[in-house]
Amino acid sequence: MTAVLEVSNLRKTFGGIVAVDGVSFEVRAGEILGIIGPNGSGKSTLFNCVLGQLQPSAGEVRIDDKLTTGMRPCDLNRLGVSRTFQLLQVFPQLSVRDNLILAGQEHQGSMVSRLFGRADAGMSHAAGQMVDFFRLSHLADEPAGSLSFGQQKLLDAAMAFMAGPRLVLLDEPAGGVNLTMLGHLRERLHAYHAERSATFVVIEHQMEFVMALCTRVLVLAEGRLIAEGRPQDIRRDPTVIDAYLGH
Amino acid sequence: MTRLGGIVVAVAAVAAVAAPFFLKPFGIFLISTWAVLTIAAIGLNLTLGYAGQISLAQGAFVGIGAYTVALLTLAGVPFFVAFIAAGLLCFAIGWVLGYPALRVQHHYLAFVTLAFSTLVFLVLRNEEWLTNGIYGIAGTLRPTLFGWPMGGARHFYFLCLGVLAALSLATWWILRSPWGRAFVALRENPIRALSLGLDTRRYTLMAFAIGSSLGGLSGALYAPLVQFIEPNSFTLGLSFNLLLMVIVGGSGHFFGPFVGALIAVLLPEWLRVTEGYYLIVYAAAVMVMMAVCPTGVLGLIERAARMLTGRRKAAGTQALTEGAGT
Repeated sequence: MTAVLEVSNLRKTFGGIVAVDGVSFEVRAGEILGIIGPNGSGKSTLFNCVLGQLQPSAGEVRIDDKLTTGMRPCDLNRLGVSRTFQLLQVFPQLSVRDNLILAGQEHQGSMVSRLFGRADAGMSHAAGQMVDFFRLSHLADEPAGSLSFGQQKLLDAAMAFMAGPRLVLLDEPAGGVNLTMLGHLRERLHAYHAERSATFVVIEHQMEFVMALCTRVLVLAEGRLIAEGRPQDIRRDPTVIDAYLGH
Repeated sequence: MTRLGGIVVAVAAVAAVAAPFFLKPFGIFLISTWAVLTIAAIGLNLTLGYAGQISLAQGAFVGIGAYTVALLTLAGVPFFVAFIAAGLLCFAIGWVLGYPALRVQHHYLAFVTLAFSTLVFLVLRNEEWLTNGIYGIAGTLRPTLFGWPMGGARHFYFLCLGVLAALSLATWWILRSPWGRAFVALRENPIRALSLGLDTRRYTLMAFAIGSSLGGLSGALYAPLVQFIEPNSFTLGLSFNLLLMVIVGGSGHFFGPFVGALIAVLLPEWLRVTEGYYLIVYAAAVMVMMAVCPTGVLGLIERAARMLTGRRKAAGTQALTEGAGT
């Protein structure tokens, strides 16, 4: 299988603090890779470096064999790389439908053609399908800010999928979501994965969620990769248990 | 827009057309000033109300537009060419002024634009070879439109109203297009917008450029309206006044600038009966208004309409802040 994402020797420092310390890994097409690790182990920083939100201090990121280190998030997004955020990141005053249209509109035509084209950039139909898929149809015209936390999490995921990405990085999709909503979210992620044969990378604390969703797991601790393997093996790995429980 | 909203807008439009037939020359001058300043306020509303980029330089752009038209028409350039030139020049300068906004936001950005405003004032005052300094420029002629002289107060008012209508339509088109959605995204969450493929850089610069060019076009009508311009007309005071119009009317509401400009132009006149106290009363009225309805007059109307119809909408910011705390 070919690598969709290849990270080599990635390093990120903030002043004297080394947040990510020479991390290398590959993500193969179609897999769901989990990244776990204690708080402060550098998971989100790693994501931000891969996605261009932060500039890595050293190392390389390749997507489909193309060097993308230092590319802007908006350009990466248009290459088919999408993400969700750990904290809520929807546009509260826009309706659910407009949030979704916005998530897809920049992939349609050019900036000039969008100005003179249709108000919905031709995305209404796709947005309608997406609210159905994530079972948010009854809320489509409500402002996103009026949704519950779990519903906003679903919307956040739906937005990440709106442009039909091939690679999606999900930053703690289960964080703060109640159990019913969590099962629903997992089912939707599985369904999307099966339908589009997309590739996922998931940062998560919720072990049950990781076990049920991921095919392979990486473990980060203090900015370094300390283990890699199948979820059931990782759970019993003494180095991993040690990293979580402290020294 | 609801049907009621449509009726209100239609009635207001009819009133705007009929008004000069019932007013004395000074009244016509006031509503012309309203039409001209509304254009600048629409521009600021786009930059600040929709795209969330604070600017204290809108008055400076009105000045640049006014001087461009005054100088070009004096040099023999036809008014409508000068008018377009003022818009284009302010578009370009606004684009450049947008660059600081890519690095700083909120009150820091306010300071950058404030410095720019001061800079423009100093150029207008000190570069006498170009601007005639504190003596100003008199005698900007009102144009002739298709053989119709626009010199009379009423005719010129209709020109201003026509330009206001055309520019409002253009702005409405921009805001209803995907650009409008992108501007709001810029205001609400630029980081998320960037991760969804929005070139936030280009949209930020565009928001500044379009808003500034509307400021310039407003100034391009201001010069022939008052027929005497001098640097003191375009100090920070005008920028603050325009900011006040946007906020009092309802920042981020399409018709906010129309209402805000009306209040800012008419209220001081109505308060003239209080003689020396009118500035105090005016200031107090603005403060009370901001305390009672920080979302402006249109925000207040929207809230009242929502209470009447019993529909709950918007007000979603609370959920966001709650979420950010987890």
